[in-house]
Amino acid sequence: MEQLIEQLKSQIIEALNFEDMTPADIDTDAPLFGEGLGLDSIDALELIMLMDREYGIKLADPKAGKAIFQSVRTMAEYIQANRTK
Amino acid sequence: MRVSQEIEITPAKVIINGEPVAVKEKGEKMLVELYRQYANDYPKFFKMDTLCRLGFIASEILLREEQVEAVILANRSASIKNDTDYLSTITGENYYPSPALFVYTLPNIVTGEIAIRHHIQGETSFYILEDEQQLEQIIKSTITRHPSPILAGWCECSGPDTFNAKLQIIWNN
Repeated sequence: MEQLIEQLKSQIIEALNFEDMTPADIDTDAPLFGEGLGLDSIDALELIMLMDREYGIKLADPKAGKAIFQSVRTMAEYIQANRTK
Repeated sequence: MRVSQEIEITPAKVIINGEPVAVKEKGEKMLVELYRQYANDYPKFFKMDTLCRLGFIASEILLREEQVEAVILANRSASIKNDTDYLSTITGENYYPSPALFVYTLPNIVTGEIAIRHHIQGETSFYILEDEQQLEQIIKSTITRHPSPILAGWCECSGPDTFNAKLQIIWNN
């Protein structure tokens, strides 16, 4: 799980173009939206594309996104349970 | 019409009010260098495409001491560089359209980003024109409607290292 979390942090940094950030700067349990990383709705779409592209996960239920994208850890847990690649 | 401040940015040089500014980098990297030097407090800059970064940083430098009522920009190539980048995400087998790139497939997002950053609530327009002379006519007709100064100019980008901006703060007196 820890390896997946670190990999996910790197992928988030690349996908969202956080040029000044390293994986160590992202708190695994901090909120991704609002406080914490302060992501917006476009970023949410990028994260959905990232999960599809890198892990073969298609989010069929948009309502599920709120729980999945709570933090990097919740994202990683969802990926580990649902990945197809 | 009176120009109170102006800036010119090309991939190799920056001139503010007629004075060349020393820069270490060239091209896209130079825009990041300018951001770090003149702004550095707006992380959204890193999500912008090259055209938007160009217009944004030019306006950051000009609007340090003056406020404007409207933003009128123009160019010849619209958002072609970003359009091409976005096209690459929806072409072929690897079909993963990028929302972040899609956002910048309209050039008028440049004027929008500037207006948001500087709380400009007046007119914002981005024209696609053949040349800068046509822009002059638009500026002349626009400035008559504004007692306060406007930010106006040419903001062109056709590639990562192929761009030029010439922005001015223009007064109607």
